[in-house]
Amino acid sequence: MLTASKCILVQCDPSIRALILQINDERPGIVIDELDDTHLLVKSDKVDIVKQELNKLLSKNIYNPFDEE
Amino acid sequence: MSSGNLFRATVNEYLEGLPRPVQSKLYEAPATCLSIFRLLPPMAKFYIMSMVFNDHAVALRDLYKWTKPSANKLQFEALKRLKALHLIEDDRQTKGIQLNATFRKNFRDCLTGSQDPNAFGTLCILPDKNKVEISFLDTFASQKWETILHFMVGTESTATPSKSVLSLLKKGELMEGPGTSATNLKITNIGFQFLLQDVNVQIWTLLLQYLNLTQDLHMDPVDVLNFLFMLGSLELGKSYMVSNLSDTQISMLADLRDYGLVYQRSDNSTRFYPTRLATTLTSDSAAIKTPSNALEQAVGPDTSTSSNQGSVIVETNFKLYSYTNSPLEIAILNLFVHLRTRFSNMVCGQITRESIRRALYNGITADQIIKFLETHAHPQMKILAKERLDKKIEFDTSHNINTAGGAPQSKGKDSVSQHKLEILPPNIVDQIRLWQLELDRIQTYEGYLFKDFNNQHEYDSLSSYASEVGDLIWSDKKKMKFFVSLSEIGLNQVMVFANKKK
Repeated sequence: MLTASKCILVQCDPSIRALILQINDERPGIVIDELDDTHLLVKSDKVDIVKQELNKLLSKNIYNPFDEE
Repeated sequence: MSSGNLFRATVNEYLEGLPRPVQSKLYEAPATCLSIFRLLPPMAKFYIMSMVFNDHAVALRDLYKWTKPSANKLQFEALKRLKALHLIEDDRQTKGIQLNATFRKNFRDCLTGSQDPNAFGTLCILPDKNKVEISFLDTFASQKWETILHFMVGTESTATPSKSVLSLLKKGELMEGPGTSATNLKITNIGFQFLLQDVNVQIWTLLLQYLNLTQDLHMDPVDVLNFLFMLGSLELGKSYMVSNLSDTQISMLADLRDYGLVYQRSDNSTRFYPTRLATTLTSDSAAIKTPSNALEQAVGPDTSTSSNQGSVIVETNFKLYSYTNSPLEIAILNLFVHLRTRFSNMVCGQITRESIRRALYNGITADQIIKFLETHAHPQMKILAKERLDKKIEFDTSHNINTAGGAPQSKGKDSVSQHKLEILPPNIVDQIRLWQLELDRIQTYEGYLFKDFNNQHEYDSLSSYASEVGDLIWSDKKKMKFFVSLSEIGLNQVMVFANKKK
């Protein structure tokens, strides 16, 4: 039976995809479906959370020259 | 004007957007004809020059023979521009084109010097009692213009520009805030981008806003444009009579004085002087001294010997030094650099991820930042870059290899020469671009996923139908799923289509 479901498609590179899946492991219920290496389906109301968490994760790897002083 | 095309909406596009009767009226002024001609691309100029002394229409067939087939794109562009301005008209009888009759007559007069003697303003014959030097005009113009820019970046203890300037800034969405009081205004994203533009672009941006404003005030746009174009063809350092101007134009003088385009000693002075900001309005030649050069020269007495030379040094470790004491340049640098120390003749700072991200959030693009740093680079940086480039080419030719091949520096858009002059350290340029990319690591689309089809045929027909109604972003034939970005109504349409098929 054909179904159509409302959701948000996230397009990203594989490394970011892995990070989003990691976020999903910590707080389940974000990712609906893994379409392929660069596409994920996310619940409509969870996109902002994904962006926030992603920002946090990415900022961890940044060298801040002012930390040393 | 929407934010996106603010800077692309040049004066040319404004002119092209004018209704045809207004354009025809514009061509009645010789000075306007000349200015419009100056603003056209070289190919369009060539066509006009070929047709201006030709009373007959030129057959299209002949016209195409003027250019090589390889220049078709240029030709098409030029003709499109000319048509949009209604400078060329189709001639039905001969199936050719000819110049707009009014334009042809007036432009011919311009070239042969037989125009109305007052067309380019009336020179004051009597010498001014208080003689005005060109250097004075330059200082006056840059002072006025800098006041506006300083006010925008919020430099402390600067004078507030006049009311008319403030309303322009607000109307152009360069600044926003409640009320008209100067203290409430805050710079917008568009305003930040505005600051990074060349002075000529900045002036036209404001003038185009002014033109929009004049329409609300029931001033004749033709009169206003004619005056602006006439200013563009006046001579710097000469004074012109106010008495020959129309009422609209006289009322404009006060506003133009606020922008620093013209100088008058007092409100009811009978003569006015165009400044360099005005006389370079329509010039496209780089040989003429540009307003930006004039401004930079007036910025500081120290830099006057090296007028258009930059002062910014960027090191590979993201440290930035700028030999400047201009508050304006410092304020602009502060938009995307973490400034740390200020000395009497220089500032030091650091380009950090945070500082660049702040600028990116403000709507400034990485390319704008890179371009700004490149154009303002210290001469020493340019010399070093040139030396490096020469060495690289020498190395390549002597070893008969190509190091530019897959190296990151060959990413540049112009692939004319494989080696590109790198004024800024390549790692800095790449990193700034990467920081921008990092902001949009994910792209999201709202829409619907269709899945669980009964058979391949059903999938094929529905996916092709959906791609017509909406944007088919992702599809997988094997899994028989597709994602399409659709509105509510679009979804209903697709559902109806799917049910019919059954």
